[in-house]
Amino acid sequence: MKVRFLWLLLPAMLCAQSLKDFEKKVTEFSLPNGMRFLIIERHEAPVVSFHTYVNVGSVDDPSGETGIAHMFEHMAFKGTAAIGSKNWPKEKAALAHIEEVYDRLDQEKRKGFRSDPKKIAAIEAELKDAISTADSFVEENEYDRIVESNGGVGMNAGTGEDSTNYFYSFPENRIELWFYLESERFLHPVFREFYKERDVVREERRMRVESNPQGRLVEAMLATAFEAHPYRVMPGGWASDIDNFREPEAEQFYKKYYTPGNITIGIAGDVNPAEARRMAERYFGRLPKAPLPPLVRTVEPKQEGEKRVAVDAAAQPFLAIAYKRPSQYSPDDAALDVLSDVLSDGRTGIIYKEMVRDKKIALGAGSQDTFPSGKYPSLFLFFVIPTQGHSLDENEKALYAIIEKVKKEKVDDAAIARVRTKLRAALIRKLDSNSGLASELCSYSANFGDWRKLFTQLEEYDKVTAADVQRVAQKYLIESTRTVAYTQAPAEGGAK
Amino acid sequence: MKRVLLALSAAGVMLAQTAVAPSYKDLKYPPLPQVKIPVPTPVTLSNGMRVFLLEDHELPLVRGIALIRSGNLFDPPDKKGLSEFMAEVMRSGGTKTKTGDQIDEELENMAASVESGMEETSASMSFSALKENADTVLKVFKDVMTAPEFREDKLDLAITQTRSAIARRNDEAGGIPDRELMRILYGPTTPYGWQVEYEDLNHIHRQDLIDFYQRYYFPKNVMLAVYGDFKVDEMKQKLEAVFADWKVEQPPVPKFPEVAMKPAPGIYFAEKDDVTQTFFAIGELGGTLRDKDYAALQVAANILGQGFTSRLMSQIRTKLGYAYDISAQWAANYDHPGTFRIGGSTKSQSTTETLQAIRVELDKMRTAEVTDRELNEAKEGVLNSFVFFFDSPAKTLNRVMRYEYFGYPKDFLFQYQKAIQAVTRADVLRVAKEHFLPENLAIVAVGNPKEFGKPLSALGKVNTLDLTIPEPKAEGAKVGADSLAKGKALLERAQQAMGGADKLAAVKDFVMSAEMDLQGGPMGAMKIKQVNRWIAPGTFRQDQILPMGTIVAYSDGKSGWLALPPPQGVMAMPAPVLAQARGEIFREWIPLMLSSRDSGRTVSAVDANAVEITEGSLKVRVEFDAATGLPARQIYSETDMRGAPSEVKETFSDWRDAGGVKLPFKAQIEQGGKKAGDLTVSEVKLNAGLDAAELSRKPDAKK
Repeated sequence: MKVRFLWLLLPAMLCAQSLKDFEKKVTEFSLPNGMRFLIIERHEAPVVSFHTYVNVGSVDDPSGETGIAHMFEHMAFKGTAAIGSKNWPKEKAALAHIEEVYDRLDQEKRKGFRSDPKKIAAIEAELKDAISTADSFVEENEYDRIVESNGGVGMNAGTGEDSTNYFYSFPENRIELWFYLESERFLHPVFREFYKERDVVREERRMRVESNPQGRLVEAMLATAFEAHPYRVMPGGWASDIDNFREPEAEQFYKKYYTPGNITIGIAGDVNPAEARRMAERYFGRLPKAPLPPLVRTVEPKQEGEKRVAVDAAAQPFLAIAYKRPSQYSPDDAALDVLSDVLSDGRTGIIYKEMVRDKKIALGAGSQDTFPSGKYPSLFLFFVIPTQGHSLDENEKALYAIIEKVKKEKVDDAAIARVRTKLRAALIRKLDSNSGLASELCSYSANFGDWRKLFTQLEEYDKVTAADVQRVAQKYLIESTRTVAYTQAPAEGGAK
Repeated sequence: MKRVLLALSAAGVMLAQTAVAPSYKDLKYPPLPQVKIPVPTPVTLSNGMRVFLLEDHELPLVRGIALIRSGNLFDPPDKKGLSEFMAEVMRSGGTKTKTGDQIDEELENMAASVESGMEETSASMSFSALKENADTVLKVFKDVMTAPEFREDKLDLAITQTRSAIARRNDEAGGIPDRELMRILYGPTTPYGWQVEYEDLNHIHRQDLIDFYQRYYFPKNVMLAVYGDFKVDEMKQKLEAVFADWKVEQPPVPKFPEVAMKPAPGIYFAEKDDVTQTFFAIGELGGTLRDKDYAALQVAANILGQGFTSRLMSQIRTKLGYAYDISAQWAANYDHPGTFRIGGSTKSQSTTETLQAIRVELDKMRTAEVTDRELNEAKEGVLNSFVFFFDSPAKTLNRVMRYEYFGYPKDFLFQYQKAIQAVTRADVLRVAKEHFLPENLAIVAVGNPKEFGKPLSALGKVNTLDLTIPEPKAEGAKVGADSLAKGKALLERAQQAMGGADKLAAVKDFVMSAEMDLQGGPMGAMKIKQVNRWIAPGTFRQDQILPMGTIVAYSDGKSGWLALPPPQGVMAMPAPVLAQARGEIFREWIPLMLSSRDSGRTVSAVDANAVEITEGSLKVRVEFDAATGLPARQIYSETDMRGAPSEVKETFSDWRDAGGVKLPFKAQIEQGGKKAGDLTVSEVKLNAGLDAAELSRKPDAKK
């Protein structure tokens, strides 16, 4: 079938062409302190998007301080000596006083049974005063105010397991303002309003995890699937750790991990790369070179048998089934991506067709090739939302039947070809957004050493055959490394 | 970039080009280069369809979106959700020539998409294709737009999915307050406020979808925008050719119904005990983008609650640490009043305090002017980010089309820009006083009151919100060609299993003797001997021997009488008993199984082994034994003497031959989920030669 052959070839050419074209738009350089920059020119409109990728995440949280990477991310919006203070010398002294009082509080508490409740109450009152004194010098949300009133849009940040990301966009004439603000916050951040922000971070956990049945299910699933590796804790951290964060802990964390060699910056839009480079040197060249932070030591031990966990929730049931898989650096990574897409991408994925469309036993069902993140060995995840009147058990069995079939029989070549085409088209569709480009190129550069992997991985997908897909299914989708998590109605009269 | 990177310090000393600005205040910003605003080409096709075309050669893609003047505001009140089902099944149910599944495969093989959607005052259809597949995808798009087939199986799927979504709608506390607020503000009789319920799903049939589609989808009612890597002239010709044969006409679509303004202020609360936060939404009805004060209201709402620097954020998040998420917005619509809304969440303990703190901020907006700094920063935020309205051709095209669709001036966005520039502190105070009306606010909160610090009642009278999901009036079957055919097949299999349709049809009367072992019930446990007599097509008499005497019931389906032990004696059948008797006659096995031959009855399959049989208001669900094909169970609703409905389940067994016809000799009866009794048949005589006059004779009447 000649025609079909040509049709399959066309997208491949398209990709090689687009990489060659695209390379002309990308300027890449590193500063002497090790900080890496990717400048992507797109002169369609006078706007620019900025993305800062920091190679630090919740996997780096020290024990007892889970969530501290996320806490620092919040502090990165609190300003500097020059931004956010009504009177810096006085505020500085007031902030130091808070820590001095807090140290005394901790000392008293550490006496354990012999600590004096009256003393604790007295120091707590003193702490409250110290905090409100420091607060009186604060120009609230000054950092955000500068960005917003200058026309910044889409400002936010996110902390994941493997990375922390800061991003927003400005009109083209504010590029230098971004260089100023972004370099200042990583050069000398001030950890003001720390203990109020700690409450905000705690609220965020309540909202995302504690008050959401799916959030609680995922938390229990990760804590069950991983015994040792830090992927077992969600980036928000445990509630009691958050409640006891101290400002010096966040500061130490920042000093250790926010070193220039650990940061990659992407700038996409109406930008002149030569000028951007000069500004990068001027503003970010000020960050002193520092040793690279340590890597995560703990390796997850081999799982020896299926684990199951139930989460009580007054909600309709959910099911999550996870299998252990290797990290994104494994040679099997591309085949696992294709396997996941064959199983669940779009309306032609096997799981959708069978469980949602034809048997109508699931409202939604699908898979994710990498969960919760990819730098370390992680999970190949399935999730199922049963339709009314169909049980978790029925759905679980139906899913296993599909998995067994994929292990027993090769999926058809048309399905593989379809996935490849979709992956190519998805790449093309990503190329028309400044913020998307800045974020993707940073991420690929930081994770794989070269942003070109965003394009060249398509060649890896092209090499994946139906036999590879079958092989990785047989190798990784096995009962002994499986974790099954589900929600169930709480037992009558149970303690709340 | 033409910018000179020199900043003048206050002392007038020039900083070296290599120096870092000492403060952001020292940075100077040159004017932005002129924004190139692309101008779409308007075209009207010969069939009357309006088109906007815009070239964008950056990437090898072609995309399009059509707006159709329709919307769920046109849903009939007893078929809530109809238009959304129409939009979904229009795509999933395939076309005259291809099933939806075939279309899925064809499109995904090209990594393309064609989608259909429905909003309150517009319907949409969109496509996206790689350039080299654009022609093929355009044909699929046209096929779905002009020749949808609405196949029954995909309507079934959509209804199953919706039923599950209804069951799950209260699972996440965070989604509840906004939904309930909309219900309170707009009322339950418009799509802005209503929710689709189980009952609505029983009223939506394939024909309704077809009727809805035909009324609104015609060329003159469609506006299509196409943008991407093509030449305008070529695309014009292509569209003309592709849509040439679509020429249906319909009268112009009427105006959308107006929104009734009827504020329902108050505090509304729903309990949810598995959360550690309270989620809340506070609001009142707002306005449209046309309002003269729209710009001032936008500025006022931004100062109160948009972005990280707003008053609510500073006070409630930054200073009090009560919330992660808190915001206010003036959400105006193109064509109907939107809302003024404040939303967020806080830990259970600080619920009441947070709501009080919000009220304080709201009052401040109404009693004192905002500061110059606040006003300027809010205005600058809008004006400086204005360029982002033009950062992609798609945004521009979409805006041009929406303005056209809703009848806005072409330069509306620039009018808005001017209006923002003109907003004063006095304007902000005035609009806050006029439109942020505390007496009109509905406060909706969902949380765990056991953990509240201060009770919610500290704020005023609290109304309890009932989140119970209403059950459907009766489990309904959708009557479509498919389910009718399946229903007929199931019934025919049962007829066969019972001895054949002709044998059943040959039965003209019967006498059945049985014993009913009643458990529970108002008179306690007892055994009742019965003789049931029936004459085709529907005359029935039952003689029952109870400890207190004999009760006889007679009905011909239209009227009837009861003969009770003295002193009551004979009386006309009371309405509830007559209704019950009619049900019994309707559910007699022999005529029931022949329902497929009765034009007054509808038999439709409700799943693989169950049918629903209806005749007027009478309805029964019959489940079949998959192995034998014999009926196994009847489920129906019955009203008791007090008028309360309850579900009755009769499970049949012990099928025996009775004169060439197989009939059940045992039945177990459950009522309202509890076992009510067992019926054991001792004898059945078919074609006993019963006489109608004899049957209707009352016990006290002499022969």
